[in-house]
Amino acid sequence: MKRRNMMKAVLAAPAAPALLSQSPPAHAQGPVPAAPNETAELATSIADDAATTRTRFFTQPQLNALRKLSAIVMPPLNGQPGAIDAGAPEFLDFLIGASPAPRQQLYRAGLDALNDGAKKRFGKTFADVDVTQAETLLAPLKQPWTYEPPADPLAHFLRDAKADIRTATVNSREYSAVATRGSRRGGGMGLYWYPLD
Amino acid sequence: MAKREYDVLIVGSGASGGMAAYTLTQLGVKCLLLDAGPKVDFQRNRGLKPVYELPYRGFGRPGKLPHVVQANEFNANQWVDEAEVPYTHDPKEPYNWVRVRMVGGKSLFWARMSFRLSDYEFKAKDKDGFGENWPLDHAELSPFYDRVEPIFRVSGRKEGLAQLPDGVFVEDSSPDTGAAQRIAAAGKPYGVTVTKIRRALGEGPFASSFNLLLPKAMATGNLTIVPNAVVRDLTVDKNTGRVNGVNFVDRKSKREMHAAARVVVLGASCLESTRILLNSGIANSSGVLGRYLHDQFYVSNSVVAIVPEARDGKAPRGLMGGGGYIPRFKNITTKEKNFIRGYAFDFFAGGTPDARYFGSWGAQLQKEMDAVRGASVSGTLMGEVLPRYENHVSVDRKVTDAFGIPVLNFKCKYTDNEFNMAKDAIDTMSEIYHKAGFEVMHRNDSMFPPGYSIHELGTCRMGDDPKKSVLNRWNQSHDVKNLFVVDGSSFVTGGSQNPTMTILALSMRASEYLAGQMKKGEI
Repeated sequence: MKRRNMMKAVLAAPAAPALLSQSPPAHAQGPVPAAPNETAELATSIADDAATTRTRFFTQPQLNALRKLSAIVMPPLNGQPGAIDAGAPEFLDFLIGASPAPRQQLYRAGLDALNDGAKKRFGKTFADVDVTQAETLLAPLKQPWTYEPPADPLAHFLRDAKADIRTATVNSREYSAVATRGSRRGGGMGLYWYPLD
Repeated sequence: MAKREYDVLIVGSGASGGMAAYTLTQLGVKCLLLDAGPKVDFQRNRGLKPVYELPYRGFGRPGKLPHVVQANEFNANQWVDEAEVPYTHDPKEPYNWVRVRMVGGKSLFWARMSFRLSDYEFKAKDKDGFGENWPLDHAELSPFYDRVEPIFRVSGRKEGLAQLPDGVFVEDSSPDTGAAQRIAAAGKPYGVTVTKIRRALGEGPFASSFNLLLPKAMATGNLTIVPNAVVRDLTVDKNTGRVNGVNFVDRKSKREMHAAARVVVLGASCLESTRILLNSGIANSSGVLGRYLHDQFYVSNSVVAIVPEARDGKAPRGLMGGGGYIPRFKNITTKEKNFIRGYAFDFFAGGTPDARYFGSWGAQLQKEMDAVRGASVSGTLMGEVLPRYENHVSVDRKVTDAFGIPVLNFKCKYTDNEFNMAKDAIDTMSEIYHKAGFEVMHRNDSMFPPGYSIHELGTCRMGDDPKKSVLNRWNQSHDVKNLFVVDGSSFVTGGSQNPTMTILALSMRASEYLAGQMKKGEI
């Protein structure tokens, strides 16, 4: 839910009039002037509430493959948004584009390898393979996890991408909004350290 | 303004420097304490935020803290910026130097694990012939542990183990979980004992010098704290050869300053204290300053297992939901073929394995994870690292930090003793879990690079022989009598126990000795 919609929902909730009725009857006397040194609180939104990521790093075939991979690794489940709903592939385009060269190369080569493998085995891009065909191409993900990354670049990429897609999804605005619905618990809340002066 | 001279100038305000200030000021000694970082306003400098509001969705800015595995986007600003204060090493032999610069130091963030060393560490050479003994033993340090533990309110249960001496505990009388009891029973033939985790409860949100030591020192009226003072080097009186103060750089303005004192106590953290000495060119007639760098190697999630009875949320009450600690049990009554010394584990029963340990994805992955939610046992392996002459730091004069101070170069790597120990640990714990009826789903004996445990030790070790050690048995420089180093750099060996309690006890002991010597006019 976009923040502006959420605010509308809050204001429309039955509890709002009750809360207002417990306030001093100031509303009957018109607006209370702000103290001279006070400034009004302005509610702002995060960019993800109002806009989408412009993809700039991956080629279109690579991005198509990443979207397909994201949809497979983290589909919508149990009412939770999936990676596509959370804009995870587009966020990863930004994140990997800002990352050191080895990580960029891992992703580019990995996505190219998925497309090449799909063309070689099934005559189509990875974005167009069906579920069974994808299962075959993602077989390296079944290898047991080891501290040292796999020597095979595709296996290495898939392992990292699986973790990154999950994190980019679970840490998204969309996922948090659903996870905290009907609950007072904050989704993904953490104690943030501001830069020290 | 007339130059002020203090009785004692302390560098660093974490566990060691904070304890020096706490002890000395209460004995009437006028102290100046410098810290390289700011005094943090915890209300202003921290705040709750949802992860989706962070610029990188919790991933952190790529490449910002390449050596700090512990960093995430929430806490990235609490660590020392590696670009501002870099260090160098061979790319093939990385060292993870994890640092904090703020008043209170790393004691604001430590894991609070609070153990004593035993004579298996203090007199390790007597047992296996490797390295050197400490110049003191547990009996000598015990009275100081006895006084430090109540300050930090260490919880624990008395176990009567020679390799993990009991302390003055806030009694932990909670029952062991069923999982811990099964590990203890299955481990008994191997010599395993499962103890309660010994942990500093502290007061309020912290168990830090910031709230437990420095306020009491300030209350004496004998302490002056100056934050944002990055020490460049120590200054020496050319006539006496004794230190007479420090040169430091104001962190914010980069103004060069000098502070004078009769005595200097370094508690800047193990490697920063050694860096200051190396940059000062003093206290190294032995040639071992910077040598014998060691720590504890860590393997997180070393063995991950599932408790079958806890699958599908069916764990009976009391089976899961708690942790335990397995102190060293190797080379106590047995003699291992492939390694000397030993290792410890801490474990937690009741978590959910990370998604990476499942060879599935999508709906299948979710189904498999849901089935074992709260049903796993996982732990961290902590192994003793042998202090070797070859593992050392030196000053890299080609590289300076943002304050123009030459940085450290690291040459440090683990050897077969550590690798063999890790392999034995994983094999042994896997067997014990199997015998306890657990299903081992993942095992890993690859340790993080040196430094990861944030338990760097040595490089300024103590000893009775001035040719083999930098400090004497009182943490006092053999070469410069009015110079003391009270942090982890003084360690001779580190064992597998977390070192903070020992650092605190040593600092208290050294500070009382120093105050006594000053009173007698010896210093």
